[in-house]
Amino acid sequence: MSDWRRLFGLLRPYRGVLALGIGLATLVIVANVALMALAGWFITGMALAGLGLGTINYFAPAAGIRGLAIVRTGGRYLERLITHDATLRVLSTLRVTFYARLEPLAPAGLQRYRGGDLLSRMRADIDTLDNFYLRVIAPTIAAALCVVVVNAFAAVFSPAVAMVNVAALLVAGILLPWISYRTSRARGVERRQALADLRATVADSVGGMGELWAFQVTGRQAQRIRRLSRGLIAAQRRDAWADAVVNAASATVSRLALWGALILAIPLVARGVIGGPELAMLVFLVMASFEAVAPLPAALRALAETKAAARRVFEIMDAEPAVAEPASESAPPATFDIVLRDVYFRYEDAAPWALAGADLTLSPGRAIGLVGPSGAGKTSVVNLLLRFWPYQAGAIEIGGVPIERYTTATLRQWFAVVAQHTHLFNATIADNLRIAAPEANDEQLHAALARAGLAERVARMPRGLDTFVGEAGLQLSGGEARRLAIARAVLKNAPILILDEPTEGLDPASEAEVLAALAPLMRRATTLVITHRPSVLRYVDEIAVIEDGRVIEQINPRGADAADARFWAHLRLA
Amino acid sequence: MSDESRTQGKTSRQASRQRRGIEAWLRARLAGERGGLAVVFAVGVLDAPLMIGQAWLLALIVNAVAIEQHGLAAVMPWLWGLLGLFAARAAISVFKDGLAFESAARIKQRLRDDLFARLVAAGPAAAGKQRSGAVAHGLADAVEAMDRYYRDYLPQMLLAAMLPIVLLLVIFPSDWVSGVILLITAPLAPFFMVLIGKGTETLNQRQWRRLARMSAHFFDAIEGLTTLKLFGASRRELEAVAAMAEGYRRDTLAVLRLAFVSSLVLEFLTTLGIAMVAVYIGFRLYYGEMAFWPGLFVLLLAPEFYRPLRDMGAQYHARMEAIGAAEGLIETAALEPVDRGAGDDRSGLTEPPQQLACRGLSFAYDGAAPVVEGVDLTLRRGRPVALVGPSGAGKTTLSYLLLGFLRPQAGSIEVDGIDLAAISPEVWLQRVAWVPQEPTLFHGTIADNIRLGRPDADDAAVRQAARQANADAFIDALPAGYDTQIGDHGQGLSGGQRQRVALARAFLKEADLVVLDEPSAALDPASEAAVTEAVERLAADRLVLMIAHRLDTVRRAHEILLLDQGRVAERGDHETLMAAGADYARLWSLYRADDVFGGAR
Repeated sequence: MSDWRRLFGLLRPYRGVLALGIGLATLVIVANVALMALAGWFITGMALAGLGLGTINYFAPAAGIRGLAIVRTGGRYLERLITHDATLRVLSTLRVTFYARLEPLAPAGLQRYRGGDLLSRMRADIDTLDNFYLRVIAPTIAAALCVVVVNAFAAVFSPAVAMVNVAALLVAGILLPWISYRTSRARGVERRQALADLRATVADSVGGMGELWAFQVTGRQAQRIRRLSRGLIAAQRRDAWADAVVNAASATVSRLALWGALILAIPLVARGVIGGPELAMLVFLVMASFEAVAPLPAALRALAETKAAARRVFEIMDAEPAVAEPASESAPPATFDIVLRDVYFRYEDAAPWALAGADLTLSPGRAIGLVGPSGAGKTSVVNLLLRFWPYQAGAIEIGGVPIERYTTATLRQWFAVVAQHTHLFNATIADNLRIAAPEANDEQLHAALARAGLAERVARMPRGLDTFVGEAGLQLSGGEARRLAIARAVLKNAPILILDEPTEGLDPASEAEVLAALAPLMRRATTLVITHRPSVLRYVDEIAVIEDGRVIEQINPRGADAADARFWAHLRLA
Repeated sequence: MSDESRTQGKTSRQASRQRRGIEAWLRARLAGERGGLAVVFAVGVLDAPLMIGQAWLLALIVNAVAIEQHGLAAVMPWLWGLLGLFAARAAISVFKDGLAFESAARIKQRLRDDLFARLVAAGPAAAGKQRSGAVAHGLADAVEAMDRYYRDYLPQMLLAAMLPIVLLLVIFPSDWVSGVILLITAPLAPFFMVLIGKGTETLNQRQWRRLARMSAHFFDAIEGLTTLKLFGASRRELEAVAAMAEGYRRDTLAVLRLAFVSSLVLEFLTTLGIAMVAVYIGFRLYYGEMAFWPGLFVLLLAPEFYRPLRDMGAQYHARMEAIGAAEGLIETAALEPVDRGAGDDRSGLTEPPQQLACRGLSFAYDGAAPVVEGVDLTLRRGRPVALVGPSGAGKTTLSYLLLGFLRPQAGSIEVDGIDLAAISPEVWLQRVAWVPQEPTLFHGTIADNIRLGRPDADDAAVRQAARQANADAFIDALPAGYDTQIGDHGQGLSGGQRQRVALARAFLKEADLVVLDEPSAALDPASEAAVTEAVERLAADRLVLMIAHRLDTVRRAHEILLLDQGRVAERGDHETLMAAGADYARLWSLYRADDVFGGAR
């Protein structure tokens, strides 16, 4: 289904209101044209009557002029109100649908997108879609209707004037905007590229300011940025002057229409086909009729913007989740030992293998430390265990049952994860904890905080459990945030515990506190710890070394053969 | 007044004061460009007499035909005159728009130059505190967002202040009643708009806060999706998102409703103004109180009189956009140049330095607690010193002091007995090289990147440096070799490869002082060995300071400084420090010694 059809589909529930909106928009413009035309007719007629050259019933036109002024302003207000209300409702629904479609994609389907990018799709791009009706559909249809109505009226007095005016309206409303749009679009790529280069170079310069200083090339870099900015401006210059010409041409076309109307209508007056008041009326009618096509250049631009925004929104909504759910589930496993057997996995079809024949065994009540260089596959193991990604070959079993036999929701119930970057929501401490256990009462929350060694800290907070995380003045330290994540894990009380660099970035004192909170949890669960810190590894029973996607060593670090083991090479000071 | 509304009133007043401040900043960017703006204005003003002339001719023509019953031939000269006016107005319009672009372009170019110069002058320490993405967006996109302000808003505002007055001067002699109608309705419109606008502003600000809150909430919900899924809570979050979206819809509509009322008032007054002019002129004509053509002339000019007022809405948007964009730039624009000192070039630093000695070195950022305090340190050729300590201990700042990126607030750095403060920064920087934790590879080829410090170095020298840095083999293995493009269009290099390109830079520069900041993340084993070897080669005959994370590096250092909260907690070589049995030994034991794994090693 094309994006346009989908956009129309979104508007469908409000089609009555939206059609009314177009009707009102047409009425507003017609009222203005009528107001000006009537005013011209009226004063000419009054002047002729004043000179004794004719008679006029002045009550009706004078009232008409005032009436049209009111129709115009009131109609505009009403039109804006009802159409904006309807389109905002459409957007609100779409936003919720968008999030509902986004949710199953995380994290595998979203790894290509940064959070800020997704946010701008959900917010700015969806906001842009209201242009589809407000700036594209409504003005275009209204313009077409006005051109027909106004010129049909003009044709009653002079078909030739009407034809000249229609031709001019088409040139000013369609041909010229289209030319301007085409030339600008042709250079759009160049402009966007220039802007992107400038952005990338500035970002490099900020990140590499030390190098620019140390190698004394700040002047050269400044020149490069000046050159890039000049290039961008040069690309804009051609558009700017072209636009200036098109704008002037557009205004001139409307004046030429007036000129043509005069040339055609003046002989009609001389021949007595129309009167003087009708001539003045046609003059004002032609001049005012160009208001109808004034929004069309913007409509054309909005059309392109809307199309791009729609694509960005629909792209996410159409994506398929990476992991398929099973039709029916196996019974929960009896024990929570985990086996990875000869697992092959890569993130994309063309990508190198992240795991290439990985084997790993984890047992209940035992902790395994996983070490290895960055990119060796440590995080991939976790991603597969949690079924964030599907793998290509091999097997992963929990208690002897392949993990594909469980729905992701069931499977993830059994895992508690404490990672280097645990997301704390911009909500109260209690809200953040109840993500793990929605039904937990305050006592249970306090107990979990106590287990994580945070009870005192929370007790000292101004509003205790109801204190907002991240509220001004309450910045949790890295260690405290980590312990809040541990409290969540305590509340979840899961049989499998995953610790991904649990003390990274902490100072020694915080690290000790975090480890003290974790130790009792590790004793009860099947635990996997990713770390390169010896201070953490002292809590594990075994160490597995992963290099190039394979576990090359799984060893008891306290055993007799540990002295020459490979894992020593992967330990780091901080 | 409730507390909340009081704070709201206050923040809204603060916000509008802040906006005025930003607008003053925007206007200050005009310095040097006032001439350009004046030309745009002057060209724009030229259009006014032509527009009036057009209405005049038009009135004459209609008058001649409708009232005086002349034919086409009689009015033809005036019609030719009209065509001439059209052509002149078209030309003026092209030049006004084009020159406005040129003027805005010069402002944008100058603004970018100025901002980047500030960024450079503030130095690496200040740059490190900036989010590079935000600054890049500022210099590229935010500056673009000001385009309309200088190009449309300012010239248009000047013209809007001027044109209605000119028109009134023409209209009054023609028909003073119409003049009075216009004179009364025109100021009435802005008056009502200001009145309504005040309400809109408060509401707008609440809307902005709501919008910001909604954005934050959505962002939170997106960033935390994985966490929500782990806890099976993402469906619950959907309800919160729905409530948020609904609230946003209602708020937006409330703001729009007021905005619509404000434009209703504007349109009502301007449309009614024209209607009243028409009706009054009609009746004055009827009673023979005025001639036809001045009446028609005034009616033709009446819409032009209101046009600048009506255009104000669109221009207001350009202004708000520029202010919003400027807000993101003001932080960069306010960067202060770092104190680089002002040594002179006759300092006597002619020979390659043999020794660098720091005594009582202290440094604090802007009145905060000292980051480096009373550090003594001596570097000699071929005797690398390693800095260890937790993050935030002052390792990076100390290295910046030696590199001359920052100047110490107390203590001295002496190079072969000459105070670094007496050496000009340019001279000193020629002697140093820096290999940061995550080296930046600039847009360009690999060869360009190695040449960073010596743009004139020939290919042989570049290859030689790459060989010394153990980078030669992997560069040759790339399809385009040394000409491989790096950056967004180019090929990505691994962490270890980036390190070696950065080391090659240092080799090529033949610097005397090298500061190396080791990556804290593990490299793959092959890369790690290659980097270690290259670093040893580099350190053999140079003054070298290493910020160390790897156990082997620390062990091999000639001297180790354990930093803690800016102070040297312990110093000595590995054996001495281990023998001392204090913090360093404890740190080490935590990682290696018997109690970790019960005596395995």
